[in-house]
Amino acid sequence: MNLAVYLRRYWQLYALLILPVSYFIIFKYGPMYGILIAFKDFNFFQGINGSEWIGFDAFREVFAMSDFYKTLRNTLMLNFLDLLVSFPAPLFLAIMLYELKIVWFKKLSQTILYIPHFISWVIIGGIVYQVFGTQSGMINNIVTSFGFDAIPFLTDKNDWLITYLAVGVWQSAGWGTIIYLAALTGINKELFEAADVDGASRLRKIWNITLPSLKPTIVTLLIINLGHMIAIGFERPYIIGNTAVRDYSDVLSTFVYRIGIESGQYTLATVVGLFQAVVGLVFVLGANYTSKKLADQSIM
Amino acid sequence: MVKAARGTMKASKILAVTLGCTMLLSACGGNANNGGTNANANAGANENAAAGGNKASGKQVTLKVEVFDRGNSPAGSTITNNYLTKYVQDNFGTPNNIKVEFVPVPRSEEVQKLNVLMASGSDVPDIVFTYDSGTFYRYAQQGGLTDLGELLEQHGPNLKQFLGEDTLAYGQYEGKQFALPAKRAHLGKYSSFIRQDWLDKLGLPVPKTTDELYTTLKTFKEKDPGQTGGKVIPLGMSLAPAQFEPLLWSFIKPVTEEQRYTLTQQLGSNDYPILLPGFKDGLQFMNKLYSEGLMSADFSLDEDKKKLNEDVTKGLVGFFSEDDMNPFYADLMYATLQKNIPDAKISSVDVYTDSEGKHPKPEYAPVGLYLMIPKSSKNAEAAVKYLDWMASGDNLLHIQNGVEGENYTLENGIPMAKADVTDEIKNRIYNWGDMAIISNGKQLGDTEKNVEAYVLNMPEQYREETRKALSVSRSDTIKPVLFDRPIEAQAKYGTALRDKLNEIIVKTTMAKPDQFDSTYESMLKDYMATGGQAILDERKKAYEEMKK
Repeated sequence: MNLAVYLRRYWQLYALLILPVSYFIIFKYGPMYGILIAFKDFNFFQGINGSEWIGFDAFREVFAMSDFYKTLRNTLMLNFLDLLVSFPAPLFLAIMLYELKIVWFKKLSQTILYIPHFISWVIIGGIVYQVFGTQSGMINNIVTSFGFDAIPFLTDKNDWLITYLAVGVWQSAGWGTIIYLAALTGINKELFEAADVDGASRLRKIWNITLPSLKPTIVTLLIINLGHMIAIGFERPYIIGNTAVRDYSDVLSTFVYRIGIESGQYTLATVVGLFQAVVGLVFVLGANYTSKKLADQSIM
Repeated sequence: MVKAARGTMKASKILAVTLGCTMLLSACGGNANNGGTNANANAGANENAAAGGNKASGKQVTLKVEVFDRGNSPAGSTITNNYLTKYVQDNFGTPNNIKVEFVPVPRSEEVQKLNVLMASGSDVPDIVFTYDSGTFYRYAQQGGLTDLGELLEQHGPNLKQFLGEDTLAYGQYEGKQFALPAKRAHLGKYSSFIRQDWLDKLGLPVPKTTDELYTTLKTFKEKDPGQTGGKVIPLGMSLAPAQFEPLLWSFIKPVTEEQRYTLTQQLGSNDYPILLPGFKDGLQFMNKLYSEGLMSADFSLDEDKKKLNEDVTKGLVGFFSEDDMNPFYADLMYATLQKNIPDAKISSVDVYTDSEGKHPKPEYAPVGLYLMIPKSSKNAEAAVKYLDWMASGDNLLHIQNGVEGENYTLENGIPMAKADVTDEIKNRIYNWGDMAIISNGKQLGDTEKNVEAYVLNMPEQYREETRKALSVSRSDTIKPVLFDRPIEAQAKYGTALRDKLNEIIVKTTMAKPDQFDSTYESMLKDYMATGGQAILDERKKAYEEMKK
């Protein structure tokens, strides 16, 4: 089929593509021009073009900053712990929800589990201070009323880590179940019926039917998550964090905010951003390659 | 004919494409042009200014002025459309054929927002401002600001006289007037406050020194005179300067002029005594208070004083320091406290004492906002005229106080706000402080009058204590250090180091007493490595050159 005929026949499909493609061009490829800032002594009155080239000077400066390594370590640490805790949580929840047989109760639980996802971090931050505060937090009021010492959930860095992770699970686990639940509806019911005939227990069915069916979804999500290892949202560590736990709560995104937006050193901020993007790409490709080799599952 | 028409169509298509390309190019090129030499840009500005001043052409100029948005506009008005904006338009704009447009910037993120505005180039207001001197220096250094020397000479005689040389000196960068700092009416910063009713109940005198204060705080903790059920917070603390600065500065030992110039670290707009002798002792005292449970336990979470305010108004706090007038405003801290606990009484006191028996505390530089005109502005002349208008006649008085006879009455030259007025009249000047940008506080000619004006505008029952607080905040003050040149390292590292300072205070205060020394050493080392050393070196050099 020659191209003209082909295009005439399928033009509707290509027309549909215009919106998403222009989205990527305008919002994802267009801004890449700004990467130039990392290699220039950016003066925002002169614009990107007018600023002078400085080669890799800004990279040297960033790699010599002790705060850079601290925030890099924290980013990886928080993300890794988050992966350990927050990644399996929606899986368990989804399987439990799937096993529920009473329809109204299942729907109700799902709704209640989704709600935290729709609350902004600023509000969650406020709630966290009310609940976990040392002096007048809800939990510590109970703890101290039993005569124990107050637990510094927010001001001791190790306790803070637990708070940070727990809040993350609370906020995201319910919403995360959606993808798994969608995948679960695709399982052939006959498999379960056959298992029932064979007298398989409930756990046995979960282990041998449900989980294997979810494997591609799990692997895909894991790869995506690994790609985000080096990137970290700004709001959660910034809002849940505070000065007392800065040793752990200071991450690359807050670091970029501080030197870029607050101090106006856009060149350094861009360098960190570019570094994140490159390392992120390496993580995604690495995870994808490994999974292809080991499990024959991949997204590319 | 048909052919010709087709030819035109083709031509117009090509034209359209070319136009599009040129627009794209000029969009990029425009920025490059901005970077041209000073001479060029100045010539351009003059031309534009001439055009702006040419009324004969009848073309209206739009003057864009930044305004802080605190989200407190009363119903019926907005931050860009209210009584004061109309007053400005009617009395300055319309007679001069200028349309004054206000561009809101949220108060809490002024620097961040301003950076974004400045970077956008085309959309930036003609008058912008910031409290942060580092931001001002950075803009000046990067060549983004209009030199105002000539314009002020030509179009701002009233403004120049109003601001005065001391204040204008703060707006100079390498000898050029790149900013017009607002003039500050009252230089006092901090006072301290104690629960007088607690003292009376326990039969204690007002503590006069830091040592006596310590004993008093301990007694507050043991006796719990406010019957808070063990929740008493003898010393209210937060992570805001108003709470920790008076305490820390009082531990600084007597210093030479050289030490004061070189060892002070200016972060943002404030001077901090981080390297001055005695700073460590101050932190140690905080550590002691914290470990003995005499201080707000969650002070490290409280950067905006919200928690402190809550604790004070609930009647849990025995002693605290704060911005001198803050507790006394109608419906604020003291009033709320008395609503919750009718017998509560607060006294303004001056307690923290240094080794010489004085009560040192920092005072403000005689400046408020740094008013700047971006180089890209085409209305520099109109902008200076606007500020000059504000400084002339009784325009400032009007903006700050409203309409005489309706909003206020003059008593001994001091405008007294009328108490029994409708909300509509009261709300006219709800954001006078943010509109009267050439002045910080009410200006009545001399400091005593300015201070008395503050006092008289407080609720009557709090005036005596306000007067005391305002005299506390002005005694034994330490003036900010002003070099004849900007310290570049401060502009570069200031913001990051300000965060580090908070970290130093929090970590050393909350460290176990036996780990205080090691925590302090490692934090200070980190501070020096992140830019503290660079600031110190530059200040030393600047001092040497200044003394030559």
